[in-house]
Amino acid sequence: MENQLYELTVYVNDKAVRGKVRAEKTLLDFLREHNFTEVKKGCDNGDCGACTVIMDGLAALSCSTTALQAEGRRVYTVKSLGSWEKLHPLQEAFVKHEAVQCGFCSPGFLMTAKALLDNNPMPSRNEIRDAISGNLCRCTGYVKIVDAIEDAASAIEEVSREA
Amino acid sequence: MKKEFQFLGKDFPRKEGRARANGFEKYPSDLYFDNMLYGRILRSPYPHARIKSIDFSEAEKLGAVCVSYEDAPGKRFNLRLVSVPKATYKDWQLFSDHMRQVGDFFGAVAAETEELAEQAARVVKVEWEILPAYMSMDAALAAKDNLIHDKVFLEDQEIKIKNNIACTREVVEGDIEAGFQEADVIVETEFETPRQYHCQLEPRSCVVRPEADGGITVWPTTQAVHNTRILIGSVFNLPLNKVNVVRITGGGHFGSGIHTNPVTLITTALALKSKRPVKIVQSREEDMYDHVRYPSKYVLKVGARKDGTLVAGHMRAYIDIGCHHIQALAYLGVMSGFWHSLYRMENMKYEGTAVYTNKVPTCAMQGYGAPQVTFGVEGTMDMLAEKLEIDPIQLRIKNYVGLGEVFWGQGPTVKSPIFSDGVVELLKKGAESIGYYKRPGSQKQTGRYRRGIGFARGFHTSGTGAPVPGEVKDYTTVQVKVNEDGTIDILTALMDHGGGTLDAAAKIVAEEFQVPFDKVGISPADTRSTGYDVCTHATRGVYCGAGAAHEVAKKTKDVLLEYAARYLDAYPDSLIFSYDEKSGQTRISVWGNPEKTTTIAAVAEHAMNKDWGTAIYSKSIRKVACPPAYTNYFVEVEVDTETGHVKILRVVAGSDAGTVINPILAKGQLHGGFYRGAGMALLENTSYDDKTGCLTNKGSMIDYKMLGIDEMPDPDDFEVIFADTYEPTGPMGAKGIGEAAFNPAPAAVTSAICDAIGIRFTKLPILPEDIMDALGEGHDK
Ligand code: FES
Ligand code: FES
Repeated sequence: MENQLYELTVYVNDKAVRGKVRAEKTLLDFLREHNFTEVKKGCDNGDCGACTVIMDGLAALSCSTTALQAEGRRVYTVKSLGSWEKLHPLQEAFVKHEAVQCGFCSPGFLMTAKALLDNNPMPSRNEIRDAISGNLCRCTGYVKIVDAIEDAASAIEEVSREA
Repeated sequence: MKKEFQFLGKDFPRKEGRARANGFEKYPSDLYFDNMLYGRILRSPYPHARIKSIDFSEAEKLGAVCVSYEDAPGKRFNLRLVSVPKATYKDWQLFSDHMRQVGDFFGAVAAETEELAEQAARVVKVEWEILPAYMSMDAALAAKDNLIHDKVFLEDQEIKIKNNIACTREVVEGDIEAGFQEADVIVETEFETPRQYHCQLEPRSCVVRPEADGGITVWPTTQAVHNTRILIGSVFNLPLNKVNVVRITGGGHFGSGIHTNPVTLITTALALKSKRPVKIVQSREEDMYDHVRYPSKYVLKVGARKDGTLVAGHMRAYIDIGCHHIQALAYLGVMSGFWHSLYRMENMKYEGTAVYTNKVPTCAMQGYGAPQVTFGVEGTMDMLAEKLEIDPIQLRIKNYVGLGEVFWGQGPTVKSPIFSDGVVELLKKGAESIGYYKRPGSQKQTGRYRRGIGFARGFHTSGTGAPVPGEVKDYTTVQVKVNEDGTIDILTALMDHGGGTLDAAAKIVAEEFQVPFDKVGISPADTRSTGYDVCTHATRGVYCGAGAAHEVAKKTKDVLLEYAARYLDAYPDSLIFSYDEKSGQTRISVWGNPEKTTTIAAVAEHAMNKDWGTAIYSKSIRKVACPPAYTNYFVEVEVDTETGHVKILRVVAGSDAGTVINPILAKGQLHGGFYRGAGMALLENTSYDDKTGCLTNKGSMIDYKMLGIDEMPDPDDFEVIFADTYEPTGPMGAKGIGEAAFNPAPAAVTSAICDAIGIRFTKLPILPEDIMDALGEGHDK
């Protein structure tokens, strides 16, 4: 194992997070060690999507990204979406539709869904299924997750139409 | 009798939903403490071996704290403490020099960082003596020496193991010889079900922190905080008041946390030795070597009369339990029970044999033995229906165990009467909704894509309660307290795994007091502040757990009524509770005297100011029945005869859960249960490389194949029907749902495939290549 440490700054949820890491340190471990434990580790192998964050506008698996690859870039976790008082419409819809059971997969699904809606505000059901096909949920059977994302898309659309 | 409810039966978003959706929920793997060390478990690369020597010197040079079998307490135990001691086989030790599977643990190291721990683990030197490995039941049964276990203990009695047979169980009722003589038709078939992996999204993990008083606090992934505490106390000789196990949300369990996971004991050993907090988060690969569903292989012979009456049945089962007992005796018992309780049969014989192999130890997974048994029993019912030329639904209705009868799903020591039964209603409605009687059948189809409709029924017990004590423990302790502003706190060690068990308790208590759902809170719980709760398993959460909350709430209400009566100058029996939506207050009024009225909040506050006390009550409640939660699935599939691929087009689920507490959560249980059950039917399995003893999926989640979102039907094509029933022994008429949602799913999918292509599979999973082979050969598989 190479022992050299590299300094880096990652902008997580719009705050500068600095650290010193080995070259092979994953963004996932970097985030979790800096208390962003809302980013979950289900496999550490790119298989489950629990570690999904948004980096430069796109959904990214933080376990398959090194921390150094994120140097100087903007990374968003599920905590950037809403606040205690006011959830993001996607979060509202996940809660309302019971798309959250044990909840371990939810932060990853929500970020994948957020990236989808940012790029395609009114996706079809097939587009939704496609977008989240890299995220695993062992609890829900996916039915409610599709419902929730569809509902959130309409809710966001409605708000922007009214505005 | 059905009741009108204020809150039950309506959709409410779960209490923890917000915290889980906004990333604030903490799971064991998310905990970090000052001064914490990170642990790594040392594991065997061989399926069967003995350690001759172990050298930690290089690891210690890196500053690692090391534990191994050399400082092991040596005691034998079983990780699962749900059964009573006299029915508990003990073959586990905390660290042993005898390695019984690839991934078996012989020690652990802890260091300042994850990287350092990893490094330290890598430099531990071990000298091995490799033993012959038994990767199949046949090989294991043929072995005379180098057994996987030489001796084990049943309670405290030493038992010598022969031919790697872990235990056997025989259950007999009536006389099968005589029974089969009465039969006009007999069907005898061998069935086999896979080693399904739980694949809960959070790998089993643990954090342990030593405390200033010499005790420890433990945050494990578990379904049973009290049993975890009791086991830790006994393994490490710690008084129980020095072991505090905290209830913390786990990222899914599905049965993998009914027993205490080895990682919990290993983390404890490291924390006790280092006197510092220690955390171990297992990798996905380690998790796959940690637990798996009991597979089952059995020959089922059933005889029936011409009119469809079942007269005799014989089941001979061999269970490959892997390298340890996580209560295989109980497993054999429930196999017989689930079988015998599906259909009435005066003469039956069950013979089960549990066999050790050098594989991952098997444990409960959603449904326990029911999906395995239901697969064969329902397949057999279809075959009998065909032979007898009786409608398959009618054959079930004629023989199923229902209202007024006694069943023993949880094994022969847990007998319970049936007081509510929605089976006929659900079968009729399901058949109607999916168009069961309009299906074309395999004969009429010729194209590449063939459609089929099938169904299966099953049940799960709501808990393991019964009128007399049996082999399984079952009770829950709850405290219910009315706060000084009229809100309510529930304190219990009961757990929720994502299905909404604690929400159900809160909702039932809300209904009892006629206060809105958001005024009832669930207190954080640990083993120091709560009385014993056996575990959230066996679909007991709502019926037994929330049921206990209901019983205790009634007692708390009695205390409150005393105070209210004093306050209003009336008698407790004349007081009525009503919720006033406008003011958001719950009123207590004296009947016939409308001017005498107050609120819960006013009474609670007054009682405090007058020093009367707090309305609070705490009690352990044992349920004396375990009603069957019946389920059936009607499924439509499309089979691609060129690729063997099966697509699930439509599902109609029928669930008899008694009063449905929260319909949206109950539906979620059926979606999830069906998804995992269909996965067991179509692709989930763990297999081994017999030479290396390694899992062929190499610990990767992608190579452990599960149904993806594309293989689940669209939300619009998944219908759920709830039976219109009321369980008189349940909390406000409710019974369980959880595992019942899984049990008939594999059988239903199999039956639909048979309807599409005319081939009946008797071994799961049914892979595309199996379908192609069978189509080529043109016969059953
Ligand atoms: S943890 Fe990154 S994909 Fe599973
Ligand atoms: S809610 Fe548990 S894994 Fe998705």
